Amino acid sequence: MTQELATPSAVPIPTAAAGVRSGWGRESIQGFIWIAPAFLYLVFFIAYPFVMSMYLSLSSARVGSPENHFVGLLNYQRLFQDPVFWQTVRNSFVFTIGSELIRLIIGLPLAFALNRSFKGKRIVQGVILIPFVIPIALSALAWKWMFDSLYSVINWMLMHAGLIEYPWQWLGEPGLAMSAVIILNVWRGFPFSAVILLAGLTAVPQEVIEAAKIDGAGPLRRFHYVVVPIIRPILFVGLLYSIVFSFTDFSAVWLLTQGGPYNTTHVFGTYAYNIGINAGDIGMGAAITLFIFPLLAFIVIVMLRLLRRE
Amino acid sequence: MAGRAGSGAGMVEGARWRKWVFFYIPLTVFVVGTLFPFYWMLVTAFRPDAELYRPWRAVNNTPFWTLHPTYEHFVYLFRETMFGAWLFNTMFIAIISTLISIFCGLLAGYSLARLRFPLAGALGTGIFVTYLVPATLLFIPLATIVRNFRLGDTPWSLILTYPTFLIPFVTWLLMGYFKTIPRELEECARIDGASRLRAMVQIVFPIATPGILSAGIFAFTLSWNEFTYALVFLQSPQQKTVPVGVVSELIRGDVFFWGPLMAGALLGSIPVALMYSFFVEHYVAGLTGAVKG
Repeated sequence: MTQELATPSAVPIPTAAAGVRSGWGRESIQGFIWIAPAFLYLVFFIAYPFVMSMYLSLSSARVGSPENHFVGLLNYQRLFQDPVFWQTVRNSFVFTIGSELIRLIIGLPLAFALNRSFKGKRIVQGVILIPFVIPIALSALAWKWMFDSLYSVINWMLMHAGLIEYPWQWLGEPGLAMSAVIILNVWRGFPFSAVILLAGLTAVPQEVIEAAKIDGAGPLRRFHYVVVPIIRPILFVGLLYSIVFSFTDFSAVWLLTQGGPYNTTHVFGTYAYNIGINAGDIGMGAAITLFIFPLLAFIVIVMLRLLRRE
Repeated sequence: MAGRAGSGAGMVEGARWRKWVFFYIPLTVFVVGTLFPFYWMLVTAFRPDAELYRPWRAVNNTPFWTLHPTYEHFVYLFRETMFGAWLFNTMFIAIISTLISIFCGLLAGYSLARLRFPLAGALGTGIFVTYLVPATLLFIPLATIVRNFRLGDTPWSLILTYPTFLIPFVTWLLMGYFKTIPRELEECARIDGASRLRAMVQIVFPIATPGILSAGIFAFTLSWNEFTYALVFLQSPQQKTVPVGVVSELIRGDVFFWGPLMAGALLGSIPVALMYSFFVEHYVAGLTGAVKG
């Protein structure tokens, strides 16, 4: 889903936490009442479904069948024997690591460039966020058309530039299909990385950089010893968010390749959709999605620690 | 702003050509690459079918523009599909779910920023954690819940589920905003005898308007763009939202109606693009979230 959004980065832990009083005065009651709508909403639509998902993964639930038995770990057993599932696990990691690396490689110089002043800076700044703003389902279609087997404009350009000799089947060949999905994911997500990095960079006090310059530090050393330590927290939080969005992606992959060719681009989201919704095997589908949970829990814990420390 | 960033990281040092090679040219390539898919969408939407599916080697091939722009794909979109209904559905769902989220987020954000009560820290952390729970983890159980409540294939299935990713975000953003507003302002009002609710509505909310606007714009775009839940919960063509409608009704098996597809993608992107261009500042504020908070 397009939960690939904003980040309350560098989220502060509520100050209220710092000064908790044990009293149950008017203010406490008011506090509980006011937070109740949000809290109950999230309990009912996030916590409850999550618990339900755990139950479903242990059951033989199917779409449209009233029978629903407890089957223990059967679904997990079936998954472990399923080669496509293992491929999905591998693909998810390749997809996530590939996307994040490229985003960082593109995002960092871009953030540095945007941190200077130049003519048309505001326009560039406005433009780079567009891929992030436009519905992924719609921009993915444009990419699918650009990767088309017969009329690919990308192939046209590459061939006219003399870089390839015959049209590549971007979405039809295993390795290429994975690169195509990564390209889409990078294109869609780098504005996020760049904006987060930029927010970090603008927080670096100019005086500190000047001081390092006067002390004779070159650009690389200034970056390593001055800039990095300051932007590290926000960089880290941004990266963790970005990892969560890539790792749990459904839309980009599903729209471009639907997991094909030969399951070489299936990630957790698309495989779970195929099994749980298309094939109607709810139990097994739920089991697949739950494999996201360990990594997710790990990231949540790291992030909470990070935020506490600040 | 120019002053701040100008002295900033400094301009590229050295000769003019270096500035071009290391700065302007890469940046231009980058911007062109970023925008190209949209340009391609635009060209395709106006290109007649005869030209769309013409072999590359044809003599009269003009790959990057068209000499015979046509409206036929847009006409097809409104005559042969329910695009109008999809637009309406998307708008309706986005507005209501945004309103629900703003309502919950305002109250929760305010109480987390201002009120002292036991467990406030834990509740705040809890809301923050839900922000990281992705749709991929929830769409299967939520589909079951939606079915059980007989909400499947109705806009309400989405109106009720979208706030799951909107509320945490809106709450955190607004909490950050409320913290920047000096406490003294409301305290004055309260000394004058206003209740907390009144002080909040009359003093705090007006000051927090930019924050509420950022949260609202962001929430609206997120709902407009949502794809996974809409794909899973909606089946009949007249109930669909733009992203799902375009994908599922204009791709039939292996046949892609590229002209109408791109026309639909273009029209479906314009509302968010317009909204974005009017409120860039708010959007960026929303994106970098509660940094200041």
